[in-house]
Amino acid sequence: MAETLETEIAVRHPNRRKKKKRPVTWSLIKSQNQLIWMSVPLMLYIILFAYVPVWGWTMAFQNYRPAKSFSEQEWVGFKQFNFLFTDDNFLRVLRNTLSMGIINLVLGFVTAIVLALLLNEIKNVLWKRTVQTISYLPHFLSWIIVTGIVATSLSINDGIINIVLMKLHLIKEPILWLSEGKYFWGIVGASHVWKEVGWNTIIYLAAIASIDPALYEAAEIDGASRYKKMQFVTLPGIKATIVILMIMSIGHVLEAGFEVQYLLGNGLVVDWAETIDIFVLKYGLAQGNYSLATAGGIFKTVVSVTLLLMANGISKRLGEERLL
Amino acid sequence: MGGKSKRTFKLSLITLLSLSFALAGCGGNNNGNTKDNAKAEETGAAQTAGAADTGDKIEPFNISVFLGEAGQQPTPDNKIYKKIKDETGASFNFEFLAGDINQKLGVMIAGQDYPDMMTGNTKLTAAGAYIPLEDLIEEHAPNLKAHYAEYWNMMKDPNDGHIYILPNYGVYNGKVNSAWYSGPAFWIQKAVLKEFGYPQVKTLDEYFDLIEKYKEKYPKIDGSPTIGFEILNYDWKNWGLFNAPQHLIGHPNDGGVVVKDGVAEIFADKDYAKQYYQKLNELNQKGLIDKETFVQNYDQYMAKLSSGTVLGMFDQHWNFNAAEDSLTTQGKIERTYVGLPLVYDKATKDYYRDLAVLNLNNGFGISINAKDPVKIIKLLDTLIQEEWQKTFSWGIEGEDYIVENGRFMRTQEQRDNAADATWQLANKAKSLFSYLPKMEGSFSDGNSTDAAAQPEEYKAGLKPFDKEVLDAYGYDTYVDFFSEPPANPVYYPAWSIDLIEGSDAKIANTKLNELQTKFLPKAILASPDEFDAVWTDYVGQIQKANVKAYEDKINEQIKWRIDNWSK
Repeated sequence: MAETLETEIAVRHPNRRKKKKRPVTWSLIKSQNQLIWMSVPLMLYIILFAYVPVWGWTMAFQNYRPAKSFSEQEWVGFKQFNFLFTDDNFLRVLRNTLSMGIINLVLGFVTAIVLALLLNEIKNVLWKRTVQTISYLPHFLSWIIVTGIVATSLSINDGIINIVLMKLHLIKEPILWLSEGKYFWGIVGASHVWKEVGWNTIIYLAAIASIDPALYEAAEIDGASRYKKMQFVTLPGIKATIVILMIMSIGHVLEAGFEVQYLLGNGLVVDWAETIDIFVLKYGLAQGNYSLATAGGIFKTVVSVTLLLMANGISKRLGEERLL
Repeated sequence: MGGKSKRTFKLSLITLLSLSFALAGCGGNNNGNTKDNAKAEETGAAQTAGAADTGDKIEPFNISVFLGEAGQQPTPDNKIYKKIKDETGASFNFEFLAGDINQKLGVMIAGQDYPDMMTGNTKLTAAGAYIPLEDLIEEHAPNLKAHYAEYWNMMKDPNDGHIYILPNYGVYNGKVNSAWYSGPAFWIQKAVLKEFGYPQVKTLDEYFDLIEKYKEKYPKIDGSPTIGFEILNYDWKNWGLFNAPQHLIGHPNDGGVVVKDGVAEIFADKDYAKQYYQKLNELNQKGLIDKETFVQNYDQYMAKLSSGTVLGMFDQHWNFNAAEDSLTTQGKIERTYVGLPLVYDKATKDYYRDLAVLNLNNGFGISINAKDPVKIIKLLDTLIQEEWQKTFSWGIEGEDYIVENGRFMRTQEQRDNAADATWQLANKAKSLFSYLPKMEGSFSDGNSTDAAAQPEEYKAGLKPFDKEVLDAYGYDTYVDFFSEPPANPVYYPAWSIDLIEGSDAKIANTKLNELQTKFLPKAILASPDEFDAVWTDYVGQIQKANVKAYEDKINEQIKWRIDNWSK
C-alpha cells in the first residue's frame, strides 16, 4: 500500500521522483547483463538507421553540393524553406496533397472495413477465399502497372469504363476522364481502393477472427439479426484495431502518393494532380537541388508528427485506444 | 564499489557510442582516393613505358564501364570483345542504366562510387567525378588528339577549361552520307502522299489541307477511326508540343530559344508561336486532332502510331522509330512516315536538318576512381584507329561484310544478321561503340562509316513501295526532302548549354516548361473565341516567371562559346 502511494506521489512530482529512483548499481547491471547485451545490436541499428540520417537534415539549411565535405558547404539558413513556402504553387500543391491524402484515408478505411464485415458474413469458405484472393492480388502490382491499367480503362476508344457507362445509357458520349481536373481526385481515390482494399481487409478479418463466438451466440439468443450482430458485436470487437490503424494512417496523410499523380497527371489536370512530392522532385531533385528536397522532406515530417500527436491526443481525450 | 562501477558503466557506454559512430562513418567517402590515383597513374605510366620497351607483350586488364542508357549485356563469347581482348588485353565490365538516370547519378555521386569509365554527364562533371584528360591525350594518345583536333576548344568544360569528356558523336571526316533522318519534322503517312499523287508539301497549311482531305475521304483505316494529327506531350518528351514554332520560321532546333545574330530569346510567347497554336485550335474544331492527345502516355501514343491510323504528327524520328518498325513488320509500309520540313510560307527556307554537333552530355569520361587512366586512354587511342572503327561499324570482313571493287557491301544474309538483336549481342560491340569516340562520314577509302548510310546498301535494302515514293519525288533517300544543312553557327546548339543545377536560370526553365504544359493544351482545346483570352493569360504568366534569368544565362554562354570556340 505504501509503495503505491509513493509511486503516485512520484508521478506527480517528477523532482522528488528523481531522488527516490533506484540507483543503477553494478549488481543491477550484472544481473541484467544478458538483457543489456541483447539490446546492443538493436540500439546500434536504431542509431545507425534512425538517428544518423537525421544529420542529413542539415542539408536543408545549406546550398548542398554533392562531393564536397561538410565544412565546405555553403550555409544559407532558411532560404530553401522560403522558396518552398513562397512559391505560387505551394498552397495549391499542399491542398492537393492533403485532399488526396484524406480521400485515400477515408475511402481506404471505409471500404476495407465494409469488405471485412461482408466477407465475415459469407459462410461458403471457398467463395470467401476466392473473393479475398481476387481483391488483394492488385496489391502486388506496382503503381506503374496499375496506372497503365487505369489509363487504358479510362481511354475513350476502347476503355472499359466508357464502354460500360455507354451500354448502361448513363452517358451519351465517351468521357475523357483524365482531361478534367474535377475527376482527378476521384480517379486517384478509386485506383487506391482497387489496389489496396483487399490487402487492408486482412488485418480486420484477423481482428474479427479473435472475437469470442460466444458473443455471437448470446446475441443470437437475444434475437439479434445479422445487421444487429455486425453493429453490436463485430464492429465493437474490432474498434481497437480501427482506432490504432487510424492514428497511424493520419501520420501518413501527407504521403498522398507520388507515382499515381506523376504517371496519370498531364498538363490539363496539373492544378489538381501535383503533390508536394512531385513539386519537390521538379524543383529539388531534378534540379540537383538536394537541399530543397530535404527541406520538403522536413516539412512533411514535421506536419506528419504533429498530426500523429494530435490524433493520438484526441483519441486519449475520448478515452479510446491510443498509440503512444 | 558503486562509484567505480558507475564509471566503468559510463566508460563502456562511451566506447559503445564511439563504436557506433565509427561504424556510421565507415560508409563515408575515401579521402585517400586521389592519392592512390596519383600513385596508380605513376605506376601505370611506368608499366606502359616498360611494355613499350619489351615489345608487344599484352597484359590483360579489366575496365568497369557505366553506360547511361538501358541495354543488354553482350554474350560472354562476343566476337568483337574477344578480338579486343586478344589484341589489346582489355576486357569490359558493363553496368547499364536501370531506372532513372538522375537518381542513379545521385547515388553514385553521394557514395563517390564510380567505375573506371562513365557516360559523359554534366552532373558528374559538376561533382568532380572525372579526371582532366588534356594532358593524358597530349602525352599518350596521338590518334585521339588528331581525331579531335578541330574540336579541341569545344570540348573544354565552360566552368574550368579542362577536358573531361570525349564526345562520341559530331566529329566528321570525308563525305557525310546519311540515309536516315533522325531529327524533328512534321511527319505524314506515305499513303496520304500517294493518295494525292505525291504533291510537294512545303507549308503548314498545305500539310493540314492534305490531312483534312484524306480524313474526309477515309474516315476509317482498317476499321478504326482515322486520327488526323497527334501531339505527344508526356513527361520529358514534350517537344512535340513545344518545338514546332521555331522550325516553322526556318530556324534550327535550339531547344527553348531562338537565336538571332547571337542573341537568344524564348519563343514560347511570341506571335509566330501563337500562329501555330491558333492553327491547332482551328484543327481541333474540325476534329482533326486526337481527343486524347494531351492525356495519353508514351505507350498509348506508340500504340496509336503502330496501328497505322495516325496521319501525321510533329516529332523526332528516333522517338517513334519503334512504331514504324512495327508497321513494317505488319506489312503496312504505306502507313510509315515521310518527314517534311514545313515552314509558314514558301519564302522561308527550311532548316530542320542540321549537322550533328559535339555533345558533352554523352561519350565517355574517365573517373577519379580509375586505377590506370593511362591504360584506358591508350586503349581508346587504339580503338579510334580506322581498322578498329571498321570492325565496330561493319564487323569482320568476309563474315559480316564483303568488299567489291573497294566498296563495302553486305549479302542479304549479312543484312538480316545485322538487324537481328540477338545476333548483335554475340557479334557486335554495339553499346560500347555507341559511346566510344568515333569517326563519322567516310573512311579514307571512301566507304561510309555507317553501314546503313552506304548508298549502295541503302538502295539494296529499300522496299518496293519506298522506291515508288522516292522515284515519284526524284530523291535517293528520305533525307533529300530536307534542305542541305549549312555549317553550324559557332554557338550551336543552344539546347546543349548547361544551365547549372539549381540556378535561377534552371528554375525559370522549369517554370516555363510547366506553364507551357499547362496552358498550351488549354489554348488548343478552347473554343475559338476563348483562345485569345487563354493566350493572354499564358503570356502574362510567362512574364511573371523569371524568364530573363534563363535568357541571360543562355546569352552569356553563347557569347562565351563565340569567344572561346572560334578559331
